[in-house]
Amino acid sequence: MNRQRVPHLLGVLIVAFFVAFPFVYSGGNYDYIMHICIIGFFYAILASSWSMLAGYAGQFSFGHMAFMGLGAYTTALFCHYFFISPEPTGICTEFAIGDQYLIIKNAIGVTSTTLTQDCLAQAMDKWNGTVEVTRMPVWLGVILGALVGGIFGLLIGLLVLRLRAAYLALFTLGFSEILRATISAEIQITRGQAGLELPSLFENGITIAGHFFSKTDKIPPYFVMLFLLLACLAVLYWLSQSRFGLFVRALREDQDAAAALGVNTTRYKVMVFVVTSSMAALAGTVYAHYVTIITPNNLMILQMSLVVAMAVIAGVENFIAAAIGAILIEFTLEMLRTSFSIGGVTIDMTLWRLVFFGVLLMLTLRFARNGLLAPLIDYFRRGHVAAETVVRRDNGGPGSDDPEASTDRQGAQA
Amino acid sequence: MIELTVSRLNKRFGGNHVLKDVSFEVNGAEMIGLIGPNGAGKTTLTNVLDGAIKPNSGTVYLNGTRIDQLPSFEVAKVGLGRTFQITRSFRRMTVLENLYVPALALGKSHKGDDVKEQAMEVLEFLTMAHLRNEYARALSGGQQKLLELGRLLMLDPDIIILDEPFAGVHPKLMEVIYEYIRRVNERGKAMIIISHQMDSIFALCKRLLVLDYGDLIADDTPENVKNDPVVIEAYLGTTEDRTGTGERDDEMRPADV
Amino acid sequence: MQYSSIFWWTILWIVFWGVTGGIGTRRVYLHKDLDTSNATLGGSLIGAAFGPFGLAPLWWKSPEIGRVMITLSSLVVIGIIAAAFANADPENNCVSNGSFVASQITNGLIIGIIYGLMAMGLTLIFSILGIVSFAHGAFYMIGGMLVYYIINIWFPGTHPLIGVLGSCLITFGLGALFERLFLTPMYDGRVERPVEYGILVTFGLSFTLTYLVAALAGFNPVKVKRFFDFPRIRLPDNSDPWLIKTSRGNMELFDTVSISNPRFVAAILSIMVLLALLYFLHRTWTGKGLRAVSQDREAAAITGINPNRMNMLAFALGCMVASLSGAVLVQAFSWLPIVGQIPEMRSFVIVVLGGLGSLPGAFVGGTLVGLVEAAGTGCVPNPQKASSYIPAYGMIILTLMLLLRPMGLFGRKFASGAHGKF
Repeated sequence: MNRQRVPHLLGVLIVAFFVAFPFVYSGGNYDYIMHICIIGFFYAILASSWSMLAGYAGQFSFGHMAFMGLGAYTTALFCHYFFISPEPTGICTEFAIGDQYLIIKNAIGVTSTTLTQDCLAQAMDKWNGTVEVTRMPVWLGVILGALVGGIFGLLIGLLVLRLRAAYLALFTLGFSEILRATISAEIQITRGQAGLELPSLFENGITIAGHFFSKTDKIPPYFVMLFLLLACLAVLYWLSQSRFGLFVRALREDQDAAAALGVNTTRYKVMVFVVTSSMAALAGTVYAHYVTIITPNNLMILQMSLVVAMAVIAGVENFIAAAIGAILIEFTLEMLRTSFSIGGVTIDMTLWRLVFFGVLLMLTLRFARNGLLAPLIDYFRRGHVAAETVVRRDNGGPGSDDPEASTDRQGAQA
Repeated sequence: MIELTVSRLNKRFGGNHVLKDVSFEVNGAEMIGLIGPNGAGKTTLTNVLDGAIKPNSGTVYLNGTRIDQLPSFEVAKVGLGRTFQITRSFRRMTVLENLYVPALALGKSHKGDDVKEQAMEVLEFLTMAHLRNEYARALSGGQQKLLELGRLLMLDPDIIILDEPFAGVHPKLMEVIYEYIRRVNERGKAMIIISHQMDSIFALCKRLLVLDYGDLIADDTPENVKNDPVVIEAYLGTTEDRTGTGERDDEMRPADV
Repeated sequence: MQYSSIFWWTILWIVFWGVTGGIGTRRVYLHKDLDTSNATLGGSLIGAAFGPFGLAPLWWKSPEIGRVMITLSSLVVIGIIAAAFANADPENNCVSNGSFVASQITNGLIIGIIYGLMAMGLTLIFSILGIVSFAHGAFYMIGGMLVYYIINIWFPGTHPLIGVLGSCLITFGLGALFERLFLTPMYDGRVERPVEYGILVTFGLSFTLTYLVAALAGFNPVKVKRFFDFPRIRLPDNSDPWLIKTSRGNMELFDTVSISNPRFVAAILSIMVLLALLYFLHRTWTGKGLRAVSQDREAAAITGINPNRMNMLAFALGCMVASLSGAVLVQAFSWLPIVGQIPEMRSFVIVVLGGLGSLPGAFVGGTLVGLVEAAGTGCVPNPQKASSYIPAYGMIILTLMLLLRPMGLFGRKFASGAHGKF
């Protein structure tokens, strides 16, 4: 069999496995395993879009989790404050749309769960159940979240145009910290550390092919997240195969040279920020609706380090490797959660697993710079090149003792 | 008919006047050598023509289009290509991908066969066809230089500026580069070659531009330039105070500790 | 508390003219072919301070924007904001209580010195190796943790200073080891993108160290009691000690400014370390070698300095300085494995503010950030909000600085390390 086909075949097999998995698997910990899968897909979206940003375009941003949080908080706030009612309340901010009213609840912060004092609750008290108020549809929040992520991606992309390497990392880190601090501090609106509750993806359950799934059922969110992952991978694949992928890699290698060859570097740099941040935001919205609560801690640097580590360990220059790696690592991390004791000494694996993870990250960076999975894929995809290389070396190929080669390298780092 | 008109170009970096009223014209498929001592402003002139930096005053027209205020990617599309003093191949992309970049930037599609065919032609010409799927970083310095020239062929500009194309190149590859320059010129492209290797310049060019500390001090045939007292003065005369920033202007200095 | 509309209008006015000044001045200076390195920062400050009345003459005359102009206009901006603030909220502690303000400023300066010390380690690493160490906070945490373990667990009864010394030695060794094991491939071009590699690998180190300490020491906060007690001083006389009055844990100056012992001791120790560091860098051969490498790597190598050896020294020294600032502060705060995160961010802010790679910049940046944080803690009326926003203040400074003048206040052009421009 042609070796180049192997990755494609494996890819199809993996997708088929994950599609069939919920119906085939029947362990006692079904919900738990499904949950890990969903979270794994979530990280896979983040890791693969980050690998497009960092690995392909060379923009090592530490703000990816912030975009995720932006998306999540957008939909959370949207679902929390916006309602539709057939009757005006008279006390809320409201707009007439046709014969319906768009109602914006007033922000009264943490207490709104215990004291039903917001204007809508008061109005509903008055109506005494005669008027039915509907929430905003979840899908609208999801779309809004992705949009907001994209818009902020555009802004950040424009702002960081002139920044390189270390400065870019610091700037994006700063952005993410400001966002987190703002969310923690504006308790009135975001409820701070207490977090915002959201409706789940299918609040009233959903019936697919005659089977009813309740809102706590894992199968619908599983497939939503899986679909989202596959869609993101498809978009990333399409982008990477089109001129977009070629150009962002060229500008990663040498921005000035790419511009001199006619590549509009500004446009592609901003575009890659927009695309990847709206993907992160999209993942964030679905994740938020799945776990039904979002707190500022989701934006913490630890979360970002997980995404970075997943992408790097699997191979940051290959988004498919990053996605698979993220799922595998999420599984491994969960499996390693159980603590055990040797000779009376209890090993708290919840912490030690992260130590191993960190060591693995450093060792991968040090000894396998392209990650652990990406070289495998590359091996199959570029198998035919090896033979040619041998031929070339026999013909007295490139002189590695050429002094030019080493000076070039310095220049190309810019 | 290729027509590049540079008139009264000025560029200052802070207090440094790096280009002083530089004017010249290129008509048709000329082969022009641009020489001058270190710090004369050769690279700055290239950068200004290419759109990487904007001149303070003066205009540049290429085939009737004003290019001095355009960003470099648009200048490339109008028809001016350049190489860099230090080779700047896309190191972690394959040789073919390196060649696709300019072609796709021109709006061609790499799905069709013609771009691939064109790229293969270029590679055959550069004697690098067997390396097409190698990463550029695996190539020797000279081969990377060839690859850079190959990218320019894919961009297919009307006028090509080569910045030090012979520096650090193996004598074997030198022949290829000579051949490349002749063949490209025969195709009707104008060329400006910057080099310190006078014998190569004299062998190839029919016309020389000499820059000295931002002044264009000569624009003549090689024979006349060789005997021009002003040029001799510039090269051999005053050796002190050649500290213009032209040659290595993009280099950054570390901050003090 | 409600801010009056005049407050918000003032802020809006400042922001609007600041942005206009920042963008416009750069355009004007570019057009007039003048040095633009200060134009964005200076323009936005002048715009924010004087509005159109400042910008019009600036754009008309376009003088060289010097340090004096920047300092003056930033002071005016601070003055305007303070005035608007005072006007909006006259009851605030920061407005009505003079001794509180004096206390805040003193304490801000004192803590700023320690911040400056920590940031100096970061800037030292950057100027020699050209990387931003994301493990700086982890070393800060380890420094404090080691002091706790040495003087309380491993060798109870050891003098705290021995503990500090021990933690310095250990972190120096750890830094050197890490540099040898993980950073060496950066120097000879084996890594394609050394800057990003440096960031990621130190990021991994930080992650590993944080959880290693958490796994070994647990997530319970530990506390070290203060290293020294103040002697009892009453000046000028016992009955009316208006000049200085000390108790064991506190010192009061002029009856108004109160400084707590741990911070004071930490600042004194920091100043001593700072002087030692400056002496080392400017008076010893090795230190001069370090500075030579930071300025011109190739030239230094020609003169017989081994740049790779200097890399190791700089990284180890930087880590040691970080751990030292942790070691002296462990007596002031309770210590957790994640305690390094905020100081790390703060160090980033400081080095960007002062200019990546500039030692005096780190020091000035440190004191500035210390003052800003003191103002933030003292003046924001809602304490809950204040505590959430304090890390963000620094980050806002950082993002503004990167946009306005990426080379920082004291940096020359873009700072660069071993690996070309950024």
